[in-house]
Amino acid sequence: MPESLLTEFIGAAKSVGLNYGFLASVSERTSWLRGVVVTIELSVLSILCSLIVGTVIASLLTSGRPWLARPARAFVEVLRNTPTLVQIYCAFFVCHMLVNQSVGAQNNPMSAYAWVVIVFSIHFGAYHAEALRAGIEAVPKAMRESAISLGFSRRELLVFVELPLAFRFALPSLVNNLADLVKATSLGSAIAVGELTYASLMIWIERDNVLEMMILILLVYGALTLSVSRLGFLLEKRLRMPGYGH
Amino acid sequence: MDTEQAMTLKTPWNAPSIPPIVYWALGVVLAWTALAHFYRESMMILWQWVPHLASGLRMNVLFSVLAIAIGTLLGAVVGALELSRSRRISLPAQWYVQFFRNAPILVLIFFATYVFPFEIRIGTMYLSFPDWIKATLGLALPAGAHIAEIFRGAILSITSAQWEAAASLGFSRSQTLRWVILPQCVKRVLPPWMNLYAMITMSTTLASLVGVRELLESAKNASNTVNRTDFTVLIYLAVLTLFFLYCYPITRFTARLERKYVFH
Amino acid sequence: MPQPYLSPEQRPLVELRNVHVSFGSNHVLKGIDLTVRKGDAVSIIGPSGSGKSTILRCINGLLTPERGEVVVGNTSVHTLRTEAERIALRKRIGFVFQQYNLFPHLTVLDNIVIAPIRILGVEREIAEREARELLAKVRLSDKVDAYPGQLSGGQQQRVAIARALAMHPELVLFDEVTSALDPETVGEVLSVIRQLVEDGMTCLLVTHEMRFAEEVSQQIVFTEGGEIVERGTPREIFHAPRNPRTHAFINALRN
Repeated sequence: MPESLLTEFIGAAKSVGLNYGFLASVSERTSWLRGVVVTIELSVLSILCSLIVGTVIASLLTSGRPWLARPARAFVEVLRNTPTLVQIYCAFFVCHMLVNQSVGAQNNPMSAYAWVVIVFSIHFGAYHAEALRAGIEAVPKAMRESAISLGFSRRELLVFVELPLAFRFALPSLVNNLADLVKATSLGSAIAVGELTYASLMIWIERDNVLEMMILILLVYGALTLSVSRLGFLLEKRLRMPGYGH
Repeated sequence: MDTEQAMTLKTPWNAPSIPPIVYWALGVVLAWTALAHFYRESMMILWQWVPHLASGLRMNVLFSVLAIAIGTLLGAVVGALELSRSRRISLPAQWYVQFFRNAPILVLIFFATYVFPFEIRIGTMYLSFPDWIKATLGLALPAGAHIAEIFRGAILSITSAQWEAAASLGFSRSQTLRWVILPQCVKRVLPPWMNLYAMITMSTTLASLVGVRELLESAKNASNTVNRTDFTVLIYLAVLTLFFLYCYPITRFTARLERKYVFH
Repeated sequence: MPQPYLSPEQRPLVELRNVHVSFGSNHVLKGIDLTVRKGDAVSIIGPSGSGKSTILRCINGLLTPERGEVVVGNTSVHTLRTEAERIALRKRIGFVFQQYNLFPHLTVLDNIVIAPIRILGVEREIAEREARELLAKVRLSDKVDAYPGQLSGGQQQRVAIARALAMHPELVLFDEVTSALDPETVGEVLSVIRQLVEDGMTCLLVTHEMRFAEEVSQQIVFTEGGEIVERGTPREIFHAPRNPRTHAFINALRN
C-alpha cells in the first residue's frame, strides 16, 4: 500500500474523530495484518478438516451398525450441546496439560493454534455430520435399491450415490456452519492464538482505540463470511442437478 | 410397491424404545462415579468448590434468560419492521439483521463492554452499567437479529389462503389472527427459538473473556487456585457436564417438537 | 417332485421352488414355483398387491425368502450370506424399476458407465464407447450429456434399461417399468424391450401391459394373493384360461 495514501486515510479518519494511528507504525501494522492472515489460515484449515470429520461421522451415523452409530451419536450430541469455548479450554488446559505431563513440555508437539484447529474441526464436524446425515436419509429408498441392484457394495453406495446427493441436499446448512466457523475463529484469542481479534486486542490495549479496531474487525469478518457464502452459492450453482427439485 | 406397503405395516410392532435421555443420565452418573473413584482426593476438593461453581452457573442462567427476553422483544420489533411495505423502514431493519448475524458474538461482547459507557445519567441520577449487563446486551443484540429472522420466516410461511379460508368460515380479522395465524406461528417459531436459547446459553461463557464471573470463569479461578493436574481435569469436565445437562434436554425437546409439527 | 435330467442348455436359468416371504403378519408370497429358461421372456401378471414385485426382489437377493429355494444359473440365492456373494449375483442380473431411479447428479452417460467402471473395473474409454452404443440402441444418442431430470419419463426409463444392459447381465428383471409413464411414452419403452427379447435376452417382466405381454412372452404367469394361480403360453392364459380367477381377471381387463 502506498504510504501517502495511508497517511491520507489516517488524517481523514482523525478529522472525524477516529484514531487509526497504528497504521502509520510499520511494526503494528504488520502484526495486525499477520492477525488477518492467521484468521484466514485458521478458517481454511478448520473448514477442510471439519468437512472431513463431518463426512466420517455422518457415515458412521448412517452405517446401520449400532456399535458405530451409537458412539458417533453420543459424540455429536456432546459437541453440539456444550459451549465451544469450554471445548477449547478442555483441549488447551486439560489435554495440552496432560500431553505436557506425559512427554514433557519441551517435547509437546501441540500448540494453542493446533488445539484450536482440532476443536473447530470436531465441533463444526459434528454440525456438518447432522446436516449430512439428514441429507443421506433424504436419499430415496428406491435410489438405494437401484444402486444395490447394480452391484454396489454398502461403501460404494455411500461414496458414489449417498454422499454426493447428501452433500447437495445439505449444502445450504454446510455453508451456514462454515460461516459460523469463520466467526468462531475469534475464540482463538481466548488462548492467545494470534488471530485477528487477538491482534486487534493488542492494539487497542496500547492505543485505547476500541471503536476504531471494532470497525476494522467487523469489516474483515463481514468480508470473510460474505466470501464463504459467495463460494457456497457458486458451488451450489455448479453442483445443481438440472431438472431435479430446485 | 408390495414391499413398500409391507414395510410400513411392520413398524407398529416395534417395541417402544427407551428414550435417549435415560441413557445419557445413566452415562453421566456412571462416568462421574468412575471419576470419583479414581480421583478421590480431587473430588473432595471439587465438592468444596461446588457453591462457587453454582453461583457462577446462576449467572449464566440469568444472562441467558435476560438475553433471550431482550432479544425476543427486539426481534419482534425488528421482524415487524422488516415486513413493512415502506422500504425506508424495512431496509434499516434488514441492515440490523445482516450486521448482527454476520458479526462474531465475542466481538460484539467486546464492543458492548468497551464501547458502551459504564454509567448513564438520567437527570441527576446515575445509572450504573456493570459489565455483566453490557455482556448481556452483547448477546441480546445478535439474538434479536436471529429472532427477527425466525418471526419473519414464520409469518411469511403462512399463506394468504389461510386468511381467506378463515374469512370464508366467518372469522373476523382479529379472530383469524387469534385462532388461526398465531397458533401456526407459535408452532413454527418455538423450535428455532428454543435452539437459539440453547445457543445463547452456550455463548454466555464468552462473558468470562471480559472478566464477568460466570461458571467458566469460576472454574478457571478454581483451577488456578488449587493448581493440581487431576483437579483441573475434573473441574473442566464438570463445566462440560453442567452445560450438557442444561442444553441437551432443550435441544432434545426441540427436536421432538420439530418432528411432531412436521406432520401438521 | 421328480427331477428329470436336464442338459445345461435345457436347465432353467432361474428357478424358484416353494418360496415364502412375509412382512410381519403379512404373508406376501405363499409358495411360489417358477422357472425361466435361458432366452425366454416370462411375464408375471395379476392384481396389485399380489406379490409380483416381491418375486423379482427375491431373485436378485434384495429380499431373502423365509422358506424355499431360489436358483439363478449355478447360484443358490437363498443360501447367500455375505454381501460380497450377493454383489457377485447382482452383477449378473439387470433390474429395471418402475420409478427409473437414475442417479440425478450424474449425466446420462455417467449413469450408464458408473457401475461398469466402479464395480467391474472396466476402463472408462471402453465403458463410454459401449455406453454410446447402448444409447444408440435405445435411440437416445442425442441425450448423452443430459441430466436425468431433463428427460421425459420414457427417456429416463430407456436410459435405465441401457444402464442395466451395460453390466452384460444374463437376465433382466423388469418391475412394472411402464406404470409410472405417460401413455404416449409407453410405446418407446416397450419397443426397446421387444428388441431385447428378440435379441435373445432372458427377461422376466412384471407388467400391466397385457397386449405386450401376450405378444413377447413365451410364458405367462398369473399371480393372485401371493400364489401362482395359473401359468401357460400367452394363448392359453389370455384365450383359454382354465382357472376361474384368471378368467375373471382377464375379463375384467377386457371390459
